[in-house]
Amino acid sequence: MLLRLDNVQRHFGGVRAVDGVSLEVEKGSIQGLIGPNGAGKTTLVNVITGYVPAESGRAFIESDDLTGLPSHRIAALGIARTFQNIRLFKDLTALDNVIVGMHTRRADDTLAQLGTLPVFRRDQRTRLSEARQLMETVGLDPGAVAKRAAGTLPYGDQRRLEIARALALRPRLLILDEPAAGMNPSEKHGMRVLIERLNEQGLTILLIDHDMHLVMGVCKRVAVLNFGRKIADGTPAEVSTDASVIKAYLGTGGEREVASAPGAAGLNEVEEEVVKAAAEQTPTAAEPESAILEVRDLSVSYGAVNAVRGASLRVAEGEVVALIGANGAGKSTILNTLSGVIRPRSGTATFDGLDLTTANPSTIVRRGLVQVPEGREILARQTVLENLELATWGSRGDGAGTRARIEAVMKRFPILGERRAMKAATLSGGEQQMLALARGLLAKPRLLLLDEPSLGLAPQMVDEVFAAIEEIHREGTTILLVEQNALRALEIADRAYVIETGTILLTGSGDELLHNPAVRRAYLGG
Amino acid sequence: MDFLIQLFTDPYAFYNSHTLLIAQIGINSILAASMFAVLYSGQLSLAAPGFMAIGAYTAVLMSLYLHTPLALNFLAGTLFAGVTGLAVGLPVLRLRGVFLAIATIGFIEALRLGVILNFPIKVNGEPITGGGLGLKNPDADPLGGINMVLIALAVVIFLMWRLTKGRLGHAWSAIRQDELAALSQGINVARYKMFAFVLSALLAGFAGALETNLNFFVDPNEYGVPRTVQILTFAVLGGTGNIFGPVVGSLFLTSLPELARGAKDYRDILSGVILIAVIVFRPQGIVGRGGLAIIRPRWWPQRQSRAAAPG
Amino acid sequence: MQQQLLNAISIGSIYALFAVGYTLVFGVLDILNLAHSAVFMLGAAVTYSMVVNHGQSFWVAAALGLAIAAVMGLVIEHVCLRPLRRRNAPPIAALISTIGLALIIVAAVEQGRPEHPYLAWLWVDGANSVSFPISALPNPTWHVAGLTLEAAKVAVIPISVALMLVLGYVIRYTQIGRGLRAVAENPRAARLMGLDVDRMISLTLVISSALGGLAGIMFGLAQTDISPYIGRDNVEVKGLAVIVLGGMGSIPGAVAGGYLLGLIEIVALLLFGSNVRAGVAFAALFLMLVLRPQGLFGSSLSEKV
Repeated sequence: MLLRLDNVQRHFGGVRAVDGVSLEVEKGSIQGLIGPNGAGKTTLVNVITGYVPAESGRAFIESDDLTGLPSHRIAALGIARTFQNIRLFKDLTALDNVIVGMHTRRADDTLAQLGTLPVFRRDQRTRLSEARQLMETVGLDPGAVAKRAAGTLPYGDQRRLEIARALALRPRLLILDEPAAGMNPSEKHGMRVLIERLNEQGLTILLIDHDMHLVMGVCKRVAVLNFGRKIADGTPAEVSTDASVIKAYLGTGGEREVASAPGAAGLNEVEEEVVKAAAEQTPTAAEPESAILEVRDLSVSYGAVNAVRGASLRVAEGEVVALIGANGAGKSTILNTLSGVIRPRSGTATFDGLDLTTANPSTIVRRGLVQVPEGREILARQTVLENLELATWGSRGDGAGTRARIEAVMKRFPILGERRAMKAATLSGGEQQMLALARGLLAKPRLLLLDEPSLGLAPQMVDEVFAAIEEIHREGTTILLVEQNALRALEIADRAYVIETGTILLTGSGDELLHNPAVRRAYLGG
Repeated sequence: MDFLIQLFTDPYAFYNSHTLLIAQIGINSILAASMFAVLYSGQLSLAAPGFMAIGAYTAVLMSLYLHTPLALNFLAGTLFAGVTGLAVGLPVLRLRGVFLAIATIGFIEALRLGVILNFPIKVNGEPITGGGLGLKNPDADPLGGINMVLIALAVVIFLMWRLTKGRLGHAWSAIRQDELAALSQGINVARYKMFAFVLSALLAGFAGALETNLNFFVDPNEYGVPRTVQILTFAVLGGTGNIFGPVVGSLFLTSLPELARGAKDYRDILSGVILIAVIVFRPQGIVGRGGLAIIRPRWWPQRQSRAAAPG
Repeated sequence: MQQQLLNAISIGSIYALFAVGYTLVFGVLDILNLAHSAVFMLGAAVTYSMVVNHGQSFWVAAALGLAIAAVMGLVIEHVCLRPLRRRNAPPIAALISTIGLALIIVAAVEQGRPEHPYLAWLWVDGANSVSFPISALPNPTWHVAGLTLEAAKVAVIPISVALMLVLGYVIRYTQIGRGLRAVAENPRAARLMGLDVDRMISLTLVISSALGGLAGIMFGLAQTDISPYIGRDNVEVKGLAVIVLGGMGSIPGAVAGGYLLGLIEIVALLLFGSNVRAGVAFAALFLMLVLRPQGLFGSSLSEKV
């Protein structure tokens, strides 16, 4: 056993975040840790890494007792981690990030600095070459990336860099906290390959993620947490068929995800295929004649990065249109440009006659183009009711009507009605997404922009959220949906656009794209 | 303009006629280095004038009452400032961002108003620190002290420059960007922050002691908020990416009254304009590359009073 | 003794009024507006100048002082804050730019002389300290229960309390108040909900600066001491002590903290004599930060990993 946890307990203000969890991680294996948001996975990791002290229980790595040690000592004992939200040293270069990671193995050369320069130079060279090697190990090209500020790297590279930095510790145990979040299946495949390769070299890994392909495909054993307790612990096959696990976490969609095979093609091949398919395609679902949203040749950049290049799309009244593609492909950028939060470099975007590229964000909302942003962005410290009341900001002076609409929306989402007086922070991830949707609806949208509604949600919650979206659509709201969960998005969409690195590559009806082999391979895992 | 002309055409004469100015530049540069140490490790500490005061008063009181040699007085002043830095640093270290700034402001004002003006040890009914009237320092040697200042400055600059290149400097950079990530890579954040804080206290104490040699009078009003603003301005103007930034900043701002003679009355207005202009248009400062932009600490209280680190 | 208590409440009201403006900006923008004490001074200086140099009645002068203070709020927003927001600068940048503006304002007033081409309208007394001439002020005095109640000194109490109640009500129960709270918590979400965030921020600065200017006018009235340095000497750092005591970003905290500080000062004065009085505030500040950084009313949120 490499890592052993014994009846660990930790609670925060009345909530038992970790309630008597015991876990054993076999040396040289990959251990999965899954569960709904709020189940205690990250808290458990925080306890292991010493950021949060356990109230009772013990933790051991081989023969070393971790209990009560401060974070930096635990890292020095060989436990490295990556973070759910990527915590790189953003303004340092990629190379410096990795070199800083070597801190514990680097002798304190403070005094050496002041004097003998040649010795320092030699050590520095060794460090640099080791750092470069680590970057190569995780699939980064040092030549291209080493001198760039870590914050400017593309998303996938940042995730890899964080792993390289963790490896610089020469850890005995590597904890990966949602390393594949925000990646499309071919990127995830690359991450999976990396994880397997690191494991083959003898590294023990503890993996947390919501992607069942990845977790079940790569882990030797999987532990499942719910409400701070471990509800299952076994092989992937055992756990994925466990009734309580399915009920608590997987839902029906999750089962489907587990059942399908992981993507096989490498990233470049897939891109080529998709581009080829785009060239040959004749979409049978032609773009609508009359559209309420019309985007033409939109180009948006962040400084030197061209986030969106010449994108064109249209949405007709009453449709559900999906925009799918990997993280960093430009989807959110397009939505934020439509909401008036970012201004494009060139191109046009009109909504019902209103020029979105010059209008004020508040005007755009009042016209009926409402965005439900990525990550939900609810007001956590205000109550559910206050959140909803704020959504009616634009339509003032209509007291009774407003109240009626709020009541109606709380009837549609009963959980909100129940929790109306509670602070929004107490809602679960899925419930917060409902709140965000409700808030969007209250702004009287003619076109609703949904940015990654399923992000970070457990598979079962995703079911509920998509059901709600379909219901909203059935009642007549037009929807433009951005998702990296292509399967779900294509299932409910009338039409869809596929976007990669800022350019729209494919378009067609939801059905067509679902069955398009290149799309299947790239986004649906074959 | 003749100021600059003389600098280039007759450096020797320039040196002789502007000894005090050069000495003051040197001292301000050491103060700027003190600021650099804390800013580079991500701590917005505004405590420098407080430590200066400790160094200054200790040195002068020792000279007046114990008649000990100058070097010993300076050493004592510096060490005493360092020890105080240790005592003050311990409780405030876990404070974040603006809270640390406020705590250090509290410290310098409490020191100035509470301690210096009301020092318990009295002579003829007045505190030996001279209270509000200040402390006379008849042993000052304005022109003779300059060599000491320049040598000290050279040592300090070299020290800070080399420190930032090594493991210590890398750790400081990491802490500045993201304390939690730094911890996760095995960096003992508390220890490194404390070291930076105490180092800055030592430097400020030393500068305070040195400065007493230039004036025949120690004035408690010199050690309040305006002084800390002045030192902060040096760092902001020069940029805090490396040690040379704050030094350049202090060089420029200390010489400013000489460079623009007529505008002496408008010096503060000019300082204010410079502060705003630099922060808005060139936050990395004169020396640039990173600079103040580096101080984008993740742990700055986001959305309401997240005042201290957990645990 | 009771007279001293009255003084404590009077000065506490001024501290509270000042601190509410301070904490409002911190609450909405996460920024410490260090130009606030300069606006405090400006309110007093302009009012004095209008009365003494321009012959206005006190009420007109006070109204003008208040107006100028409110306008300064817009200046702070447009010069110091908005350009930094546009480029996503860290909060420390706003701290520094407001320090810069404070320097400029104080220095400008310091330079005011009768013969000055630009500043003479604002202030002619340079670095000196002046006070309102008795004749200029409406100052009825009452003697009640052994206490001397001078309107100039005690008027600030009901005014402060009333203003703070109004502000509290607005923030909690009106749509505008909700909008401000939304911006305070999550400007991005607020923008996407259709709120004009820039306008909300401008409003915040205007309200805050008006309150600060008013506190300055009341100070000049009660303490009969007006100079370019009254901000720096009396409220700049003490204001920090107040909001720390009360909890940064909490309006009731600022109010409570203001009165608490007034009380602490008077107690220290009575027990230890006037010398220690000033240092006491900062000792209290330091202690609070060390023991309970979130203040009396703030909530302690720890960082989420």
